[in-house]
Amino acid sequence: MKVLNTRLITPRLCGLLLLIALPLVSLLGLMTGPVFIPLADILSITLSGDGGNSQETLIIEIIRLPRVILSLLVGALLATCGALLQGLFRNPLADPALIGVSAGASVGASVVIVFGSMFTAGGLLLGLSAISVGAFAGAIITSVIIFRLATGPQGTSVATMLLAGIAISALAGAATNTLSYLADNDMLRRISLWQMGNLQGASWDRVGLCALTAAFLALLIPREAGALNAMLLGESEARHLGVNVEWLKRRLIIYSALGVAISVAVAGVIAFVGLMVPHVIRLLVGPDHRALLPLSALAGAILLVAADALARVVIAPAELPVGVVTALLGAPFFLWLLVVQRRRT
Amino acid sequence: MLKIDSVGLIISAVPLLNNISIDCPRGSVTALMGPNGAGKTSLLKVISGEHKASQGRVEVNRQSREEWKPADIAQFMAVLPQSSTLEFAFTSEEVVALGRTPHATGTVRDAEIITGALAKVDASYLAQRSFVQLSGGEKQRVQLARVLAQIWDHCEPGGDGESNAPADGILLLDEPSAAFDLAHQLMLIDIVQQISAQGVTVVMVMHDLNLAAKCADQMVFMNCGHCTAVGTVTELLTPDLIKKVFSVDVEVITHPVQGTPMVVV
Repeated sequence: MKVLNTRLITPRLCGLLLLIALPLVSLLGLMTGPVFIPLADILSITLSGDGGNSQETLIIEIIRLPRVILSLLVGALLATCGALLQGLFRNPLADPALIGVSAGASVGASVVIVFGSMFTAGGLLLGLSAISVGAFAGAIITSVIIFRLATGPQGTSVATMLLAGIAISALAGAATNTLSYLADNDMLRRISLWQMGNLQGASWDRVGLCALTAAFLALLIPREAGALNAMLLGESEARHLGVNVEWLKRRLIIYSALGVAISVAVAGVIAFVGLMVPHVIRLLVGPDHRALLPLSALAGAILLVAADALARVVIAPAELPVGVVTALLGAPFFLWLLVVQRRRT
Repeated sequence: MLKIDSVGLIISAVPLLNNISIDCPRGSVTALMGPNGAGKTSLLKVISGEHKASQGRVEVNRQSREEWKPADIAQFMAVLPQSSTLEFAFTSEEVVALGRTPHATGTVRDAEIITGALAKVDASYLAQRSFVQLSGGEKQRVQLARVLAQIWDHCEPGGDGESNAPADGILLLDEPSAAFDLAHQLMLIDIVQQISAQGVTVVMVMHDLNLAAKCADQMVFMNCGHCTAVGTVTELLTPDLIKKVFSVDVEVITHPVQGTPMVVV
């Protein structure tokens, strides 16, 4: 009987490669944009606090550094939440959109854009615009509705959640379309741009908010890795292995709804990161969540910084929405992977 | 060790189990048998805690089943379901490693146990293979290794078992041999006999009367959610009783060497 090695690289090597790539890609993200800033200037600005001319210092400190850090955090959040949800649904094709977060966020954001005048009086909250607050609220409300629909006396059924998620997403999509129909040209453009996702609104406040969320989740999520592995066998199997499945499901849903809602609030809907990154990492190192979760976070961070850098240069001085870049690059890459995987097995 | 006391189960107004009482002492092997839909798996699920009994109670180690915390009972009770739906490309070794989830015995000891469990079910050569690519019988063997790994310290003679283990082992098997070839069916019987000799209480759903007769201390005939008969192999394997439960005419003869009853269709 021939022995098939199903893994391409060890988790350790994968982690090492990603840790090397992370600072390199981040530097690249700081260099690129409408104004090119050479590496030497970036190092002197970020390390010593001055050097270069004052314009470059301003660009780095106010625009690019928060933007790169925000991309890192949002990428890590999306990829980790994708991995959590794929584990929860025991389906490698699950993605954050399944729990209705993206669709709900779109409704929230559209409501604010269309009926904006009523909300702008409140000004900024924690560095978030009214649109972001609307998106966050929409995301949380939809995921709560879907969770409640799927929870009965027998516990939460992930199968019902999947169906409820599809139905609620369709409903939310219809609501967003209605709002788009009511909207004038300017509002319409803002709605559709928001739905494509972008990191233009990066600020230190947003970085702080995202960093807090990421730190909170980074403390809690790794503890679930063993239970998530057991969950892949099936819910009753996990129960027989001593996992309190009902509470685990609740925690996972809360973590992923929170993570995705925050990233959607600060960056709009960014497609494919949550679906693709964990999938690729799983192909490389296997499905063990103890490796999958941290590696997905790293890879998601790298991917989004790179995609955002690209978004800033392809049609410079204008910018592509980063969600378009992730989808444009992600979808073909993902398809290629599927074909390769099919041939290998 | 395991006591099922007048258990009834009703799900969505359908009565699935009715007044079932079975006593499984430490180290005994109980075979649950009966036609499809008799309630064998439902009974197993009541014992494993997946269904809550509507009437009566299940006692595990002199304590009501419901009072056990999942994490505590998983230390000594393992369950092998009928089929597995694992879609993720774990290696066989990693699947068996999942059996160690309830324990904190450390990676060195766990690695020993995993190797031992795979060897026990004749699946050492599958260790590095992707689980999703295995055949049905191979998958079931790896899953069997997983549940053995879970209660390994209760299965092995002189194993440096956890001193704080709250009870002796219990193993619930749902049609464990359905996908096995003849050699592995006999291997299963061997394993069941070995671990029950170490004090593990085994309850298994089986269809093959002769296979069950080889290792069961106690047989339970079930029909339409009722317990038709409980007794030793010799008491239950009679043409009349088999006709009554399974609606088939059979002859029962004595095994020429082992002297156990054998059912001939």
